[in-house]
Amino acid sequence: MLDVQGLKKSYYGAVAVDDVTFRVESGEILGFLGPNGAGKTTTMRMITGFLPPSAGRVTLDDVDILKNPLAAKRHLGYLPETLALYPEMRAREYVKFRAELCGVPRREVAARVDEALAKCFVDDVAHKPIGNLSKGYRQRVGLAGALVHRPKVLILDEPTIGLDPRQIVKIRELIRELKKDQTILLSTHILPEVELVCDRVLIIDKGKIVAAGTPDTLRAQMSQVSGLLVALKGEIPEADSVLGKLPGVVHAARIGAGGETRVVLESARQADLRETIFKEAVARGWTLLEMTPRQATLEDIFVRLLSAETVVTSEGLEAVPTAVEERTEYGAPSK
Amino acid sequence: MRALLAIVKREFFAYFFSPLAYVVLTGFLLINGMFFSGLVRALASNPEFGREAFIQLLFTGVFFWIYMMVVCSVIAMRLIAEERKSGSIETLLTAPVDEATVVVGKFLGAWAFLLFLWVPTLAYPLILSRFGRVEWGAVAGGYLGVALLGGLFISAGTFASALTKNQIVAAMLGFVFIIICFMPALFREFYTDTRVRETLAYVSLVDHMEDFARGIVDSRRVVYNVTAVIFFLFLGTKALEANKGK
Repeated sequence: MLDVQGLKKSYYGAVAVDDVTFRVESGEILGFLGPNGAGKTTTMRMITGFLPPSAGRVTLDDVDILKNPLAAKRHLGYLPETLALYPEMRAREYVKFRAELCGVPRREVAARVDEALAKCFVDDVAHKPIGNLSKGYRQRVGLAGALVHRPKVLILDEPTIGLDPRQIVKIRELIRELKKDQTILLSTHILPEVELVCDRVLIIDKGKIVAAGTPDTLRAQMSQVSGLLVALKGEIPEADSVLGKLPGVVHAARIGAGGETRVVLESARQADLRETIFKEAVARGWTLLEMTPRQATLEDIFVRLLSAETVVTSEGLEAVPTAVEERTEYGAPSK
Repeated sequence: MRALLAIVKREFFAYFFSPLAYVVLTGFLLINGMFFSGLVRALASNPEFGREAFIQLLFTGVFFWIYMMVVCSVIAMRLIAEERKSGSIETLLTAPVDEATVVVGKFLGAWAFLLFLWVPTLAYPLILSRFGRVEWGAVAGGYLGVALLGGLFISAGTFASALTKNQIVAAMLGFVFIIICFMPALFREFYTDTRVRETLAYVSLVDHMEDFARGIVDSRRVVYNVTAVIFFLFLGTKALEANKGK
């Protein structure tokens, strides 16, 4: 449905996006992740035809956006990161304006506008000037504008930014619902959002794709070590150094405080430390409260990849994470 | 075509939500009203002062040129510069419309607003017609001249607006382009060679307006104005294509 091949963009010799290739199938939500300045927005702008690429090809529903931009853009709905609407227009007028721009048949305009406003939960403010709406409402009016012509491909750049938690949940529900009829490329900084909404993830850094796959695949590929959270009763200052010396333990770190001792252990992927830890605790007279295996989160993967020297191929991860000295409870290294 | 009309409509009505538009409208009518009142007084005290001369002064006087130049560059300054500054140009150009449609749509919206500014001035010849004969041919020619000249000035301003994100810079650039269009009328006096003078007269906007205000509609004048509008809109389209992502 959306096919991106060898996309490249350079400005005065500096490469902003380098050989980005991916495909999003119909009914799929692809999460596009990357730190600020990684090339996400530039890539999205090239996909939408707003920026001409230095090299590469983008096809939307088999229509090349460079060769036939108007036909390709008919299949496209786009919500840019810096959403600028016309403040003097009423929400309904704006969505109608977008419908007319996108060539919605005249007799269908009113119904499509009502449908888009209702889908994005802005029908209650349809007659208010956009300039008087809150950021959350404006964001949703922008989304209604992107949806009004029922595009086959929807590109959303940070769609939940600036929304309150209740609105975020609603927008996520809406995006999942849109998946039935649309192909969605979603850029976000909110990692749990990707895990909740996206079928696949693409991580981009310094203009290159550094990882691609489903969140589960990435987690499996990334788990070169397995983690275990051990909770012991009382304050045991030497717990991390003792447990860190057990055979098979790669790294141990004490976290938190207050009545109990919590240690995060990392071991080689196949090693099962539970029995050894149990015996060591009994031998030292420690009361073992909890042993919880922990899985790498997308946040772990993201941070590890971006602190790694290299890259991932389609076969799997080849990145070697740099040393992580200190970890939070959730596994991400604290800086 | 529907996309073009949607852009024209949005652009035209956007002026009425801007305080700037009301300042322009009020200033325009105030100056024109004062001018009209002065001319009527002159006409009343001096019967030799012909009504044709009145129409000609309305469309060719110094005030006419000053406010056409200023008003057109002010009207056009926001057209593309504002969209690029706010980022709404991204939404516009990722819709299935090309740069030429955006530029032409915006130009037509602004031009329609300029013509709207002139609508109340129709009252002047109507008032005059109650007290005597009015040369309606000259009036129609004058308004046609205003439409053509306004189109030329607004298209120059549209091009200027596509060159920068700053509206003030766009207004100043637009004014410079308008002055350049006006230059042949000034330069003509510096030459004695008949052929040069004739050539400059052909592209002299002052000569164009004087003809129109006499009711003379020369197709060459019309072609010149329309060609100049197309030229500036072409430049505006190219400037938008080059600058849109910056």
